[in-house]
Amino acid sequence: MRVPLSWLTEYVDTGLGVDELADVMTSGGLIVEAIDYPTADVHGVCVGQVRHITPVEGSDRLSLVDVFDGAAEHRVVCGASNFAVNDRVAFAAPGAQLPGGVTIDARRVFGHASEGMLASGRELAISDDHRGILILDADAPLGADLRNWLQLDDPVYDIEVTPDRGYLLSIIGVARDIAALTGAELLIPDVVPATGGRTVPVTIEDAERCRRFEVRTIEPVTIGPSPAWLQRRLMAAGVRPVSNVVDATNAAMLEIGNPIHAYDEALLAGPELVVRTARSGERLRTLDGVDRELDPEDLLICDAKGPVALAGVMGGEHSEINDATTVITLEVANFAPRTVLRTARRHQLVTQGSMRWERMVPPESVPLAASRCAQLITDIAGGAVTGGADHYPNPAEHTPITLRPVRAGEYLGIDVDADQQRALLERIGCDVRPDGMQLAVTRPAYRPDLELEVDLYEEIARIHGYDRVPERLPSTGQVGGRTPEARAQIRVRETLAGAGWHEILTAPFITDNDLAALGWGEDDRRRQAIALVNPLSQEAGVLRTSLLPNLLRIARQNANRQVPGAALFEVARAYLPPTDDEPGAPGGPDDVRLPFEPLLLGLVGYGPFEVERHDREARAVDVFDLIGACQLLARRLGRPAIVPLATAEAPFHPGRAARLTLEGRALGVVGELHPRTVEALELPARTVVGEIRLAPLLAGGVVQPQVSEPSPLPGLRFDVAVVTAASVEARAVEAAIRAGAGPDLTDVALFDVYHGEALAVGERSLAYHVALDNAERQLSDRDEAAAIDGIERSVAEQVGGRLRR
Amino acid sequence: MHESDPTVASGRHDVNAAVAVARDAIASATSLDVLDKVRASHLGKRSALATVQRTLGGLPDDARRALGALINAARAELAELEAERRLALEAQRDSVVLADEAVDVTLPARIPRRGSLHPVHETTEAVVDVLVGLGYKVLDGPEVETDWHNFTALNSPPDHPAKSLSDTIYVQPLTHDVRPTPDGTTGVLLRPQTSPGQIRAMLDQPPPLYIVIPGQVYRADTADATHLPMFHQIEGLAVDTSLSFADLKGTVAEFARAILGTDTELRFVPDHFPFTEPSAQLLARHDGRWMELLGCGMVHPNVLRAGGYDPEQVRGFAWGVGVDRMAMMRHGVTDIRQFVDNDMRFLAGFS
Repeated sequence: MRVPLSWLTEYVDTGLGVDELADVMTSGGLIVEAIDYPTADVHGVCVGQVRHITPVEGSDRLSLVDVFDGAAEHRVVCGASNFAVNDRVAFAAPGAQLPGGVTIDARRVFGHASEGMLASGRELAISDDHRGILILDADAPLGADLRNWLQLDDPVYDIEVTPDRGYLLSIIGVARDIAALTGAELLIPDVVPATGGRTVPVTIEDAERCRRFEVRTIEPVTIGPSPAWLQRRLMAAGVRPVSNVVDATNAAMLEIGNPIHAYDEALLAGPELVVRTARSGERLRTLDGVDRELDPEDLLICDAKGPVALAGVMGGEHSEINDATTVITLEVANFAPRTVLRTARRHQLVTQGSMRWERMVPPESVPLAASRCAQLITDIAGGAVTGGADHYPNPAEHTPITLRPVRAGEYLGIDVDADQQRALLERIGCDVRPDGMQLAVTRPAYRPDLELEVDLYEEIARIHGYDRVPERLPSTGQVGGRTPEARAQIRVRETLAGAGWHEILTAPFITDNDLAALGWGEDDRRRQAIALVNPLSQEAGVLRTSLLPNLLRIARQNANRQVPGAALFEVARAYLPPTDDEPGAPGGPDDVRLPFEPLLLGLVGYGPFEVERHDREARAVDVFDLIGACQLLARRLGRPAIVPLATAEAPFHPGRAARLTLEGRALGVVGELHPRTVEALELPARTVVGEIRLAPLLAGGVVQPQVSEPSPLPGLRFDVAVVTAASVEARAVEAAIRAGAGPDLTDVALFDVYHGEALAVGERSLAYHVALDNAERQLSDRDEAAAIDGIERSVAEQVGGRLRR
Repeated sequence: MHESDPTVASGRHDVNAAVAVARDAIASATSLDVLDKVRASHLGKRSALATVQRTLGGLPDDARRALGALINAARAELAELEAERRLALEAQRDSVVLADEAVDVTLPARIPRRGSLHPVHETTEAVVDVLVGLGYKVLDGPEVETDWHNFTALNSPPDHPAKSLSDTIYVQPLTHDVRPTPDGTTGVLLRPQTSPGQIRAMLDQPPPLYIVIPGQVYRADTADATHLPMFHQIEGLAVDTSLSFADLKGTVAEFARAILGTDTELRFVPDHFPFTEPSAQLLARHDGRWMELLGCGMVHPNVLRAGGYDPEQVRGFAWGVGVDRMAMMRHGVTDIRQFVDNDMRFLAGFS
């Protein structure tokens, strides 16, 4: 809500400075987002009077205008023609400044010297009108600075209005709160009722949705532009001036908060106005020139021929006020918020009016709005009220709310007794009566938002002052903390970051094509992605079932930006249709099915993992970096080792991917992408990627490592090289060594893999450092020999291998 | 006497000769390697002195004592000479050899490869740490939520604008028997706030409750420099028998000062949320401007009821704070889209 200070001051004059008042408003919940001065840039423009108008020869548009500024006449060349001799106009002499940093110079136009210019409303930023120059009231003092005459340095408060406080969408509502907050006097104009006389009869068919409907007939009016002061105020408040009658309805709405519509009575088909819902097939061409098909739920104002307005939202074009209008019918009504909201949404037509209805306008505001609007119209467009009627079939009744003052004080934590609470509530207009230990509080009409006892608590705190509420820090009476799983998750992320991986963050939106591109078939669970109803773009139509599409997208994007290498990870959820084993969260009273949201770890890498240095070659990231990263996590979380199993599946290179398992349970797959996938997705060669489920690693939190104490005696260290068929996996060879080395074995570590001339084709040799330790006795050469014999037998039996001696 | 003992005389001669030779050898040793050899040959087991020493056993006591003393004196002298020479040679080596081995310590060192944590997650954890310090327990909830948990139970009016497709992202229902609604909503949505976690927590456990729920939230917003369709919030909820608005104010103020610094200027002003009454927002002064830090309020009685609590028995307060803006402030980021762009050059800044 934009509130010009000059306008506000007509309802409440606090005497506070501009910033002080803003401070009071913000403290009271009328959050001032900005204070601006839309017309304050106007300097050196004064009230002038047109003395002579001479057409410029050879131009059908320009004229030479002699304008008198109270001291001297000046000749300007002017392209407008909406003025006559003796009119008062805004004269900008050379050196004058206009909004937007424009400075007026003396210049030559069409061969004639022009000493300044006559300004239009738009040039002065006081209206949107640029069809002609601004004509000032006849009583504007000649030579007066326009800044003073039109209050061009008027500050405008831009107030954020929360949905519950609809009354703040009016100058009077803002004034009421300021009066309550500061104690300043509230100046409310008297209601001048108008009943009887000749006016348009009204029938309300739907009294639920139209609670009140007041009409006033005013005649004869003369349509023309509003006076400059009103145009400026409307413009400052954010409403474009149109014509005096329309401007008056808007000004009264801005002041009182009740939207108002004016009809050209001559264009109504009579005999009465009917408030009813639309019939099927009915149409209405609204003021914005759009021909609308009406919905049976739309509430309408109709005459004999059909709809003339979309109730509370917009009037019809046919009965619109026009230059020839002389008799007008004012509609000052009250419509139910839901009706207007639904119609406004259905027709995508949010107007100043609909915005106010949505936030509840009380029916009690109708008489004041009607009175104020009628007064403005007769002031600026002439005529008089010749008739009126107020149709209000079911006047609103307000049941009192019970307030328990002791509880209110405890609830708010402030020391304010019952009498003080009563006084605070009376300041906003509540009627408060004692009722035993309690107070019976009847809300003022303008506050339909006050329904519950807690609503009153808020008002007590607000008028008392939120800044006067003390700060207390309650004891929670418990030890705070994360769940063990959440702590373990932090350890996962910190471990990976410490091991060279950079964490990324992506939104969970992908497309089904992204999943198909990874070679997953239609029946793959990862293709059962949940679709969005209203995706932000076609590239974001479904929720991810896998982290891979986004990981690969980010890798590609970095590669395209010439980043030579990247090792990235993401810990995030995927969203899968729930199953019995993997259910979603509880779905509430309607038992709505929610997705299963597993937490995944995704990794992606391309280019060098270790960069080239003066003392070292570069080393490209490969599948072992992925497996190793996951195995490191298992270790840091105190889990058994993650075991990789070779796998050939999409989207991976058939010989360079591993299914990672923890105690026989599959966690996920990591590997190098299939070269065809790399090509199709335009990724760097040898991109590696993978994802695992984190739940099995995190469940129960970090397990503290249990250690064996090292032997105090020197142990034995020796190497063995095992030759097997190259198809035998290293894991099997190591298992055979462990099985054969005897009870003193403490470590087996591979240090060399050899294929080559010393071996037969199809063979390879794996060389290991072996450690034997025994804390009880000194191990000897005989123990070493026995262990090697044991290893030799074991590798022969288990993997068909031999020792290379 | 023994002075004239020919054996002694011969021994003395041998010793003196050996000492003279050794002195020369030590003096002329030009490297530590040579000096090691000199030491071995003139002071070791096969040295001339050792040879003389081995003859001592066959001598009479007097002679043995006299000659023994002489040998000891000779050894002591040579050892001292050798040590002096060694010091000199070591100094020489240090000045020449080690100088020759010098490296350029300004060459790039071997910093162990390190990755980074995402600044938004890091900011979340930092904020959560503060609340854990105040005794709050951390929970999470589903990101795909029901209309009931997110709107109805949180006291939103049925036609609340936030429910529309232009504000909230809906997902297709996961059952087939769901009838389409005129406004296109489905009852299943990506949570636009962490607040439905309040309802789940209350339904899950009895009061008292002091919890914090961090998480990702979503809105149907197009991305620009200050908005993302996915962002992050942290929800706090306290429910107990006698909590007050003053407790809320103290808690959020303490929290804000822990994050922004103890001398931060704060302002507590009225606001509106369907799920709290009274409602407030906390403003903090940052770079000379008042900035909305968080929204908060006393939990609305209807919300307590939806959570299965009795609003006459317990009351509480709740607040929600946006993480992404805070992360921007912490790291001097001016465009929020950097957080999901994931450019390595940006991420590497957090190593």
